[in-house]
Amino acid sequence: MNIVILSKQFHDGESVSEYVKNIAESLTGSGHQVTIISFDDGSYYSIRHEVQVKRFPLHFDADNIYNWSMMMNNEMKGRVEEVIGDEEIDVIHANDWTTIPGGVALSKHREVPLALTLHSTENERGFGGEHSEIISELEWQGAYEADAVFVNREDTKNSVLFDLETPEEKLEVIDPLGDGWQERVLNKYTELVKHEKEVKN
Amino acid sequence: MRPLFITWEYPPYKAGGIASHCEDLATTMASQGHEPVVITYGDKRETEYRDGVEIHRVPATDSASDTVTWAMHLGHQMEKKAIELSKKKDFDLVHAHDWMAVPGATGIKKTLGLPMVFTVHSTQKGRDGIDSEYQETIHNLEWYGTYEADEVITVGRDFSEEVKHTYDLPEEKVNYIPNGVNLEKFDDHSENLNRSEYALDYEQIVLFVGRMYPQKGPGHLIEAMPKILNQAPDAKFIMCGSGATEHYKGIAKKQVGDKVHFPGYVPDEELLSLMKRARMTVAPSVYEPFGIVPLEAAACETPTVGSYTGGMKDTIIHEYTGLHTYPADPGSIAQQVERALNDPGWSDWLGENARDRVEDNFRWEQISAWTTGIYQNALK
Repeated sequence: MNIVILSKQFHDGESVSEYVKNIAESLTGSGHQVTIISFDDGSYYSIRHEVQVKRFPLHFDADNIYNWSMMMNNEMKGRVEEVIGDEEIDVIHANDWTTIPGGVALSKHREVPLALTLHSTENERGFGGEHSEIISELEWQGAYEADAVFVNREDTKNSVLFDLETPEEKLEVIDPLGDGWQERVLNKYTELVKHEKEVKN
Repeated sequence: MRPLFITWEYPPYKAGGIASHCEDLATTMASQGHEPVVITYGDKRETEYRDGVEIHRVPATDSASDTVTWAMHLGHQMEKKAIELSKKKDFDLVHAHDWMAVPGATGIKKTLGLPMVFTVHSTQKGRDGIDSEYQETIHNLEWYGTYEADEVITVGRDFSEEVKHTYDLPEEKVNYIPNGVNLEKFDDHSENLNRSEYALDYEQIVLFVGRMYPQKGPGHLIEAMPKILNQAPDAKFIMCGSGATEHYKGIAKKQVGDKVHFPGYVPDEELLSLMKRARMTVAPSVYEPFGIVPLEAAACETPTVGSYTGGMKDTIIHEYTGLHTYPADPGSIAQQVERALNDPGWSDWLGENARDRVEDNFRWEQISAWTTGIYQNALK
């Protein structure tokens, strides 16, 4: 399989980056191709050489993280198109609200399944910011558009179920501290690809 | 050619001049055999075919806390629409209009791999300045749009220089194409004005049309009013437009009482009638990248007294199609308005010349052809 993983940032020691790195290394170890696309904040990262990591700069400063992220997603889409070109992608995996616009657009454009991991929801984070409402709306949209939604724990599952009104059958709790969790992610990818093929045929 | 227009406003949704600009340009392109497709804002998702143009509307969010955030969200919705449409038809390029279209248009450019053309109608620096992080974000979006675009279009000759300087752009990337006037709209319009609602029979109408904000300079005209009335007591000032109307009305009424009237927003049909019946329009703008009012007035054979700034340096020829004033100078405004009021024959002559010049230089057919020429450059 050819998997593209989107992450707002990618560097050692950061939780979403470590999650992404674990999946990518496990998948490439089983012979799959993985490309991680992320904003380049200049921090150090280490990863198995089989994993392709493509970071990109963003020449845009914004007054808040929401506006910045929306433009970062535009660069991200451009980077994916540039790196992947005419190759076929099997699954796009977005992480958190910051990569939802890119994940949704690429999945629609390339007609491939979208997996989304919500590492937490805006409701869980307290819903206290000026842009909380629109961030939550984006999370809702991401969960709505995704073919599968992964969460790391039961609390987040409950928030996705009730705050984002996502159907339970789309949701999967995969604890990144649990045994063999990467295999469960891979199994889900395989299921999504199989389903996509059935729909297309 | 099939350009994809990205604009937040398209008639009947209309806040400023961008809506009319896009409609006139798209309609003219369609009449010349092109197939423009427009994606714009709407209350609900809908598709309309009008005058050869395919128009798709997408709704935006109610959750945005400010206009930039709203435009970001709208851009994402527009991009999804563009992706959906791209499954059925190929676009040659994406054409963005002003900063609010930048998030959507750059997303479409990146995802669909299309060339991009960006029309800058005004700049944040010129409109309100860059004094806050929020204003800086808008400025940054404008910069990003010009950076990502293959070709940049500006609507004024002077304004081209401002855009090059403000965004540090290479000379060859920036193109000047003026706005145009749809003369048929003015010629087909049947005048239906109850003039007595605006002025007495003997009074000469001096018309201001524009948003009531400092950029448009209504305050400078108001300051000039008592001087004008000293020399031309038959003048009647009609101040059309929305914005800070009550603020300016209060000041003007104190100065000249019943000699000024603020009708607020005036519908297009009524406004055309007013333009046709006015002795002149006055455009006292302090900042005006293009300024459509002098051209619309010219289409009505009405001369304009306008500031020597931005686009009005081109759209008015002093003492031939209208009169120039020093910007932000009530004394200069008073002097030029008096000259035109006190010599009606000469004013008529200025109006006729203005109309001839619009016919020769500001037709949408011409502007559309120039624009598609720039599209060809973007495709190279």
